[in-house]
Amino acid sequence: MTIRPPGAVAAFRRGLSLSLSKPYLAACLWLIQLLVSLVIIVPVGNTLHSLLDHSPAAGRMVADPDYGWWETVTRTHPDLLGNLPEIVTKLLTAEGVRASDLDGLRGIGAVALSLALLAIMLHAFALGGVFGALREPRSSLVTFGREGMRRFPAFLAFTVAALAAALAAYRWIYLETGKVLADRVQDLETEGQAMAVTGLRLLLLLLALAAIKLLADSVRVIWVARPDLPPVSRFFAGVAGALSRPGRLLGVLFFYTLVTGGLYLLWLFLDPSAGGEARFALVPLIATQQVFVFLRLLVKVGYYAGVSEALTRTPPPEYSYVPATS
Amino acid sequence: MLRAKARAGLVALSAIASATPLPATELTPPIASYQITCRLDPESKTIEGMELLTWKNTTSRPAQTLRFHLYLNAFRNTLSTFWNSAGGARDKLPESWGSIEITRMTASDGADLLPGLRYISPDDGNPHDRTVAEVPLLAAVPPGGTISVAMDFHAKLPRVSNRTGYKGDFFFVAQWFPKVGVFEEDGWNCHQFHAMTEFYADFGNYDVSIELPASYRGKVGATGVRVEERDAPGGRVVYRFRQESVHDFAWTADPDYLVLRDVFREPGLPEVELTLLLQPEHKAQEERHFRAVKAAISGYGRVMGPYPYRTLTLVDPPWGARGAGGMEYPTLITCGTYRIAPKTVQSPEGVTIHEYGHQYFYGLLASNEFEEAWLDEGFNTYMTGRILKSAYGLNHPVLPVFGYRFPLGIEVHHPVDENRRYFAGATGDYLAVPSWKFVDRKTYALNVYSKTAIAMATLERLLTTPVMDRALRLYFERWRFRHPTTRDWIAAVNDAAGRDWTWFFDRTFFSSGVVDYAVSELTSEAAKAPKGLFERDGKLVEKAPASLASPRGHDSVVTVVRRGDVPMPVEVLLRFAGGKTYRAPWDGEARWKRYRVRRGPKLLEAVVDPDEKILLDSDRTNNGRLLSPDPRAASRWTARSLFWVQNLLDFATVAW
Repeated sequence: MTIRPPGAVAAFRRGLSLSLSKPYLAACLWLIQLLVSLVIIVPVGNTLHSLLDHSPAAGRMVADPDYGWWETVTRTHPDLLGNLPEIVTKLLTAEGVRASDLDGLRGIGAVALSLALLAIMLHAFALGGVFGALREPRSSLVTFGREGMRRFPAFLAFTVAALAAALAAYRWIYLETGKVLADRVQDLETEGQAMAVTGLRLLLLLLALAAIKLLADSVRVIWVARPDLPPVSRFFAGVAGALSRPGRLLGVLFFYTLVTGGLYLLWLFLDPSAGGEARFALVPLIATQQVFVFLRLLVKVGYYAGVSEALTRTPPPEYSYVPATS
Repeated sequence: MLRAKARAGLVALSAIASATPLPATELTPPIASYQITCRLDPESKTIEGMELLTWKNTTSRPAQTLRFHLYLNAFRNTLSTFWNSAGGARDKLPESWGSIEITRMTASDGADLLPGLRYISPDDGNPHDRTVAEVPLLAAVPPGGTISVAMDFHAKLPRVSNRTGYKGDFFFVAQWFPKVGVFEEDGWNCHQFHAMTEFYADFGNYDVSIELPASYRGKVGATGVRVEERDAPGGRVVYRFRQESVHDFAWTADPDYLVLRDVFREPGLPEVELTLLLQPEHKAQEERHFRAVKAAISGYGRVMGPYPYRTLTLVDPPWGARGAGGMEYPTLITCGTYRIAPKTVQSPEGVTIHEYGHQYFYGLLASNEFEEAWLDEGFNTYMTGRILKSAYGLNHPVLPVFGYRFPLGIEVHHPVDENRRYFAGATGDYLAVPSWKFVDRKTYALNVYSKTAIAMATLERLLTTPVMDRALRLYFERWRFRHPTTRDWIAAVNDAAGRDWTWFFDRTFFSSGVVDYAVSELTSEAAKAPKGLFERDGKLVEKAPASLASPRGHDSVVTVVRRGDVPMPVEVLLRFAGGKTYRAPWDGEARWKRYRVRRGPKLLEAVVDPDEKILLDSDRTNNGRLLSPDPRAASRWTARSLFWVQNLLDFATVAW
């Protein structure tokens, strides 16, 4: 009897079910993110308290940001962030950010970049844990940690390779096309056409990033699912898996993006931060934020489980780790 | 051959123009009047023109020469003064080049003046710059005398750059004809065209006929009133515009323009016929343009005085021609907007109001934009802020996301927040410097626009708005249709205020210093019984008298410091428990001032300049201090930051 592989919807649905059945995976990711974030939040918090607590401006900034305060702080404390605000702004423009822009990062801004790199390392570890734990019928936090460490060298290599590919895609698909087309875009008839060109560049970049992500995730899934194969075969089997089921994988990614986007829209609509203390006191606000992060991570784990479902026709009987028999 | 044909056509046009005199509505005696006939060739992007200049010497000395601006020569090559100071920003586009040549110049007595023409560079001595030409006269023009000079010229327009040029079929034709300088008591004031300078000219009457292909029929706008439209041979059309009592003339043509009309009507102010030449992709913003310009006509009219001309044309340059946007010419302004312009962002409103405001600061108050640019740009930025605030309320910063302009939910307060760039370079240069002598463009902009606007708003708060308005009106009434200087503005302020405010301008316009006041110390402790030796029955004892032994209330100390090098008069507000407040004026001259309150209520807060009058204060975050910390804002923003970082970390791993 041939078991047909599940479609994108079914794979994503099954992935979500798996994620909900193993909530500690999302909890692990949440904890990792929280602890990594605290590295930067402590200096941020201390700086804010030092700048605001005795200032009469503090009263009017409980609910809303103050443009003048922000401009003054970034101007009078240039070593606090460096050019981080400019980089963030440029990232959203048709010109984009170049590597040379990073030279201007200072203080918390520079730490933010380092933290992003650390997060990428931890991401490699966490994915090993997630994929390994997902494939075991009975798993636990211990499984997560053990599987994460077991896969770490290989997954780190995949992650770094994917990161390099993504950066190359950003440079060659987005930045360089922008540079080449800059003058021609000015020659277009309307601003609408110019925006369409930017949109096309952005779409191409997103497609390239999606392809890189699906390729990397496919390799990771097969790497875990087929421990019986030698490493090179596992790698190529992973590439082949992505190439053989691109539509299904893209579908899972699409639903993941859709659900995550929906969560963000819901957050923006409810906006628990608005209104200062009138809406949410500090502790309920933090609790709401963390619940949101946790929900988002549940969906994220669901995506990885969905990709795993889409690539492996049947749950494999083999365990990646053989428990000792008594 | 083509030129000969063109010239024949121009002569015919000239004859028609002079044969049909129109009733003049001069608002001021003309000094430099122009009658121009020109022919646009859209293919070669050139203009063949014939100009008749009538110039009057209003000084007490004879004029031995005439000097002309030939602005288009700024785009002639990379050796021009403009190109060098602009940093060759557009050197990659071959179509960037533009030029103007005078091919004939004869005086009214028939004398050929062209052989004597030479290019001069009064500002920098650049031998390659051809933006100013001098022509010796065979007979000097005596004081009060008049001369007429006829010229033919050939102009090549650049791809739109620094206000003028073309893009495809779109033409914005400005600073395009040989234009006489301003003859003053100490000689000609006729500066070269620099990257950071604008214009200076005498008032006169303009009568301009423009011939162009019929494809532009109905899609032409210009300074003044359109008095004639007629067909010309070869499938062409001629438009004739006239305007009295202005000092420049610009025109535009684009087959794609939507030509929209409206009328400004408001009791107490004269009607103004409005024409909006809008790009089709901005059709949805028609009403926003009209509403903004009406708010401006009303706002400037009420504060300064009525707009004296019959018409106003608003031009919306197309995509790729933004270099022509945000510019002012008499009775014609260029705006500029985006395809997606949310209503909460004051664009195109801001630029529309600002450029209209130049009808006053530049147009009617024709100050020297080369030498004192703050008198037009800075004053106008200040007034733009006032009108925007009253007509539209607070602005919001924009986050451009791949061309879409998203307004952030943050309030931007006029005028200080919109001009904060000044603070980032406050000490970079003096404000009162000729435009081309600023160290760089950024310093020019932050001084001429931003610092002046903030200084004017500070002055308004110190004088009060009614006195400021009186000063502005006085300045306008004294100097409209003339060339005011900074000293004239200061005199108007002094007269309106009834006292000497020169000190204010010495510390702002003529200083590069920074204003910064801060509360450096605030303590308030329960009053303590005094210790030591006290007289009692003629002896010294170690016990305080009963009247001092149990003091009540708090002893408070506040120290206010002047961290900036520019003093300003400020108030210091002390707020006590129980709601009591105390305001103390301080002349702000000393480096610090300490306030002690003995046995008073507990002092909760001290604020220097509590009413935010001194908008020039570069750091308002240190202007106040609370006795007890209020951690609410910092805690909430820390929580928000944590949430953002958690989400950003997730995005950092999204694709790999």
